[in-house]
Amino acid sequence: MWWYVVKRLLQTIPVFLGATLIIFLLLKLRPGDPVLNLAGNKPVSPEVRDALAAQYHLDDPWYVQWPLFVKNAITLNFGDTFAGQPVIELIRETFPVTVVLAVMALAIDALLGIGLGTIAGLRRNGWFDSSMLVLSLALLSIPIFVVGFVMQLIFGVKLGWTTPTVGGDWNVGKLILPAVVLAIANFAYTLRLCRTSVAENLSADHVRTARAKGLSEPQVVVKHVLRNSLIPVITYIGINLGSLMAGAIITETIFNIPGIGNAAYQAIIRGETSTVVAFVTFMVMVYVLMSLLVDLLYAVLDPRIRYA
Amino acid sequence: MSSQPLLQIEDLSVSFRAGKEFLTAVDGANLTIYPGQTIAIVGESGSGKSTMAHAVIDLLPGNGQITGGHILFEGADIATAGRDKIMALRGSSIGLVPQDPMSNLNPLWKVGRQIKEALVANDVAHGAEADRRVVELLEEAGLPDAERRARQFPHEFSGGMRQRALIAMGLAARPKLLIADEPTSALDVTVQKQILDHLDQLTDNLGVAVMLITHDLGLAAERADHLVVMYRGRVVESGPALEILQDPQHPYTQRLVSKAPSIASQRLSSVSARAEIREQAMEQAAEVAAEVAESSEEFGSGSDDVLVVENLTKVFQLRGAKPWEKVDFTAVDDVSFRLRRGTTTAIVGESGSGKSTVARMVLDLLPVTSGRVLFDGVDIRQLSGKAQRLRFRRQMQPVFQNPYASLDPLYSIYQSIEEPLRTHDVGTKKQRETKVRDLLDKVSLPTTVMSRYPGELSGGQRQRVAIARALALDPEVVICDEAVSALDVLVQAQILELLNDLQAELGLSYLFITHDLAVVRQIADNVLVMQDGKVVEQASVTEVFDNPREAYTRKLLDAIPGGSIPLANA
Amino acid sequence: MPETRPGQERFVAPVDETPLRAIDAVDVDAVPENQWKEAWKRLRTSPLFWLATLILLVIAVMIFFPTLFTSADPTKGSLDNSFAPATDGHPFGFTRQGYDLWARTVYGARASVAVGVLTAIMTAVLGMITGAIAGYYGGIVDTLISRVSDIFFSIPLLLACIVVISVINNTWPDRGFWGSVLVVVIALALFAWPQITRQMRGAVLEVKNLEFVDAATAIGATKMQNLRRHIVPNALAPVIVASTISLGVFIVAESSLSFLGLGLPQNVVSWGNDLADAQNQVSSGQNLSVMYLPAIALGMTVLGFILLGEAVREALDPKARKK
Repeated sequence: MWWYVVKRLLQTIPVFLGATLIIFLLLKLRPGDPVLNLAGNKPVSPEVRDALAAQYHLDDPWYVQWPLFVKNAITLNFGDTFAGQPVIELIRETFPVTVVLAVMALAIDALLGIGLGTIAGLRRNGWFDSSMLVLSLALLSIPIFVVGFVMQLIFGVKLGWTTPTVGGDWNVGKLILPAVVLAIANFAYTLRLCRTSVAENLSADHVRTARAKGLSEPQVVVKHVLRNSLIPVITYIGINLGSLMAGAIITETIFNIPGIGNAAYQAIIRGETSTVVAFVTFMVMVYVLMSLLVDLLYAVLDPRIRYA
Repeated sequence: MSSQPLLQIEDLSVSFRAGKEFLTAVDGANLTIYPGQTIAIVGESGSGKSTMAHAVIDLLPGNGQITGGHILFEGADIATAGRDKIMALRGSSIGLVPQDPMSNLNPLWKVGRQIKEALVANDVAHGAEADRRVVELLEEAGLPDAERRARQFPHEFSGGMRQRALIAMGLAARPKLLIADEPTSALDVTVQKQILDHLDQLTDNLGVAVMLITHDLGLAAERADHLVVMYRGRVVESGPALEILQDPQHPYTQRLVSKAPSIASQRLSSVSARAEIREQAMEQAAEVAAEVAESSEEFGSGSDDVLVVENLTKVFQLRGAKPWEKVDFTAVDDVSFRLRRGTTTAIVGESGSGKSTVARMVLDLLPVTSGRVLFDGVDIRQLSGKAQRLRFRRQMQPVFQNPYASLDPLYSIYQSIEEPLRTHDVGTKKQRETKVRDLLDKVSLPTTVMSRYPGELSGGQRQRVAIARALALDPEVVICDEAVSALDVLVQAQILELLNDLQAELGLSYLFITHDLAVVRQIADNVLVMQDGKVVEQASVTEVFDNPREAYTRKLLDAIPGGSIPLANA
Repeated sequence: MPETRPGQERFVAPVDETPLRAIDAVDVDAVPENQWKEAWKRLRTSPLFWLATLILLVIAVMIFFPTLFTSADPTKGSLDNSFAPATDGHPFGFTRQGYDLWARTVYGARASVAVGVLTAIMTAVLGMITGAIAGYYGGIVDTLISRVSDIFFSIPLLLACIVVISVINNTWPDRGFWGSVLVVVIALALFAWPQITRQMRGAVLEVKNLEFVDAATAIGATKMQNLRRHIVPNALAPVIVASTISLGVFIVAESSLSFLGLGLPQNVVSWGNDLADAQNQVSSGQNLSVMYLPAIALGMTVLGFILLGEAVREALDPKARKK
């Protein structure tokens, strides 16, 4: 197992460095006045200009600037927004609600995907399987913001089951609808993966041996099929986090959730590129960390790696 | 001894649904087993033997069903019994030891827990008592250090250990009948003998009847008193084992008895047949050598020893327990031998002996750590330039083990055989086509096969194509790396015959890698016995079989299943 | 000789009932088939395939012959016609800016599908080359390519595009139609290629250990020749499936970018832009057809590609192939 852990850790570092390098280069490779670029081509006061120049070390060569960028990122020093608020503070305000939203969406994705996927896998090629396939693919085909709008319209406005927008005072109840929207965009993949995994395991040799021992069919399915099928699904769900974060931007905008995605969007409209980059860097860091954790979880779950 | 049969299969038929059609896998089979008795069902793949065994406890795959007949277990017909009844029987009355030890254990569960499951499901023991029982069962099955092993996972066991665990699992609830489906086919021959001996002892002590499924006639006759021979879903012959072996009546059984290597190798007739082949081959090879010696274009000098291997060694660097550690693994250790023109040298060893690694180094598919390989006097590592390399390649060609992977599935048979000709720019398109036809003829395949694809051919047919491809460039040496190991017994015999005929006709020299010592007598003149990378014994075939010097060689010979059965015309 | 018990007497089946076949004979009558032909047969009988083909055919006609569907000009409109109801030749009425809704929907196919197709091609080419090299040559090259692809993979697609495009917006504000399409395509392709690389690399790793590759080496083929003749053709299947499905994903991604104001510029007729425009209608709950129509058109197109990819995946599934 140590091999696996060390290898994984060693992989994370260049990945993180590389990602920051790319984001950093994107900033640097544009022609024109860097300060104006950072400020979205709007005129800035000399104070802001000086602050930006200092923050981004615009007067230093790039190979000095990039490590500083990385250092800033790790120490969560993202500078200030145009409004003068430290970005890290803004993140601290908005991150919790996004986390709750993402976790809820992940849970719904997992429940729906695994639940329906297992049934579809157990009855492969049956009508349930085919209809689930078409349904999940159809949901995949619609852009998430359309799904968001439609759900908002039906459940929020027309049926009134929940508030159409969330707003500043949020609670878990109000986040259910946006979480469902977020989950819908993704659960098709989870479902398919689970279905294939279950169907494969059903006809596996060790399952036949389990039956030969005298176990009842439900026992066989739960103890031998499901546990084996879940490992690839769990790792996949971890990877899903990435697209969840991207989806969060759109969902939070539609439902007016004061999360990190919404803040990023506001920054985009205002052309505050530096803030946008700060948000994206933060989200990438979270994603890299999450995927590392999921991979380590995988090592724990699969004894072939744990006791290699 | 009880006089009521334990299991009676009467006129059983089993079919599989494929789309809209029904394929009959078992057709009107009859079988009787008495308590405490061991019987063996023998057949090739497709004979229906495994299907019949699985049908007994209703373990057919989803599209299979029993379409007729009765299965009477202790007098009651279980072919039509409900799910619950069968479940009650499974494990407690009828146990199963399945074939492939790796895929039949759940990789995510500890071995002990999987055996405990058998105890709990059949209400034999629960909780701590069951845990104790598990350790006892593992010890009974011959697993050393059972208590520690029970807490380990399947991937930490070797193949033989896993099979013992499966035996423990099958016998856990003390069934009256144990179905052993090719329980040792995936194992080395010496391990196989150990495990089967142990199983025999165990089942004798416990009074368990055994239905042994196998493709090896020798093994069946050795382990069982009563034999059932199946062919294409039907029982073609059955009766006392020794009788059947000494006096087979049905043409199919006669075929099996005459061709099965473990039994055929006992016959003097196969030895004399081989001597004839060798004579012809060496004559032909001498002519080829003379040509090579004269010509300046041909690779090599036409010497007697077409292949000389000196002190060949291969060391692999593996990862150690900690990430920064490296462990040296010596796969091949100082191997030397000579291959005379027109003869066959066999390299025999169990898994991990290094025999395949030697073959790959000789073929220059794997770099050598130290030592030399001389082809007809030329050191293959000293070849200069692309032209010389290509000329070397023409002289030595491989035939590999896995017929399902040795041909590119996207190439037609014609393209596969033509490829070497194209790579070496031989002849015009028309000439190449003629050559391909000629080659197909040599390997006894109809030329209509040219437009087919590998997916449509059987394993034996694909091996023939692989042989045809190997012969396309008129090589002097053919390296057969377990070339017949993946084939059914009769098909194997056919391919061996083909190889022998080709050798006599073309003066080929073979390096024949195999784990099956029994096959060696029919095809080889000299033998190298390898163990753990080293050569243990090296001599002519007759010497090794009649007068083995080393203990390991004797062990290998002993382990040949059916080797000790007296034959009528030995 | 021990006595035989009842049921275990010597038995020999009558030979005429159990005739012997020649050992391992070739069936001379069967029709030759290779993998691709077999896959095509399976595809032909798959309802998923025909459904997908139907949808994509309709969309294709819409793209190349839009005048078959509408005679109106999607770029001409006036605010006087804002949300005007349906009339002759304008079956679905008008958008907020007074464009013919149906014409917008029909012509919108071009930009969206163009983005999808171009991105899919670019990622397929990039991914196949890097994946094949990484998988076949292994060692340092593999480590390098894998790490680089990990890096790009770790930045979620949409986020990365947001950064790239918002940065480019500052430097190249007036791009024109093809310029905008190019920017979106490159932004997407830049971060989506690792997916294809992984598929290709995995397939190559599987194939390169098969014995027919060794046989080709023993004949004298070089590594490059092996790659070209044997490895790549056998590794194509998963890449084809992944590319087809990702085509749909890219079309959706473009619309999401447009929603955020970062996709194609406002003056381009695209579904994404129309949907972004239609946001305002949702809260009022009126004139929802301006959202439904482009949404359905987009959804159907994407569904078509995704279904096609699924149908192809099932047709090429090695487990369904007979041995």
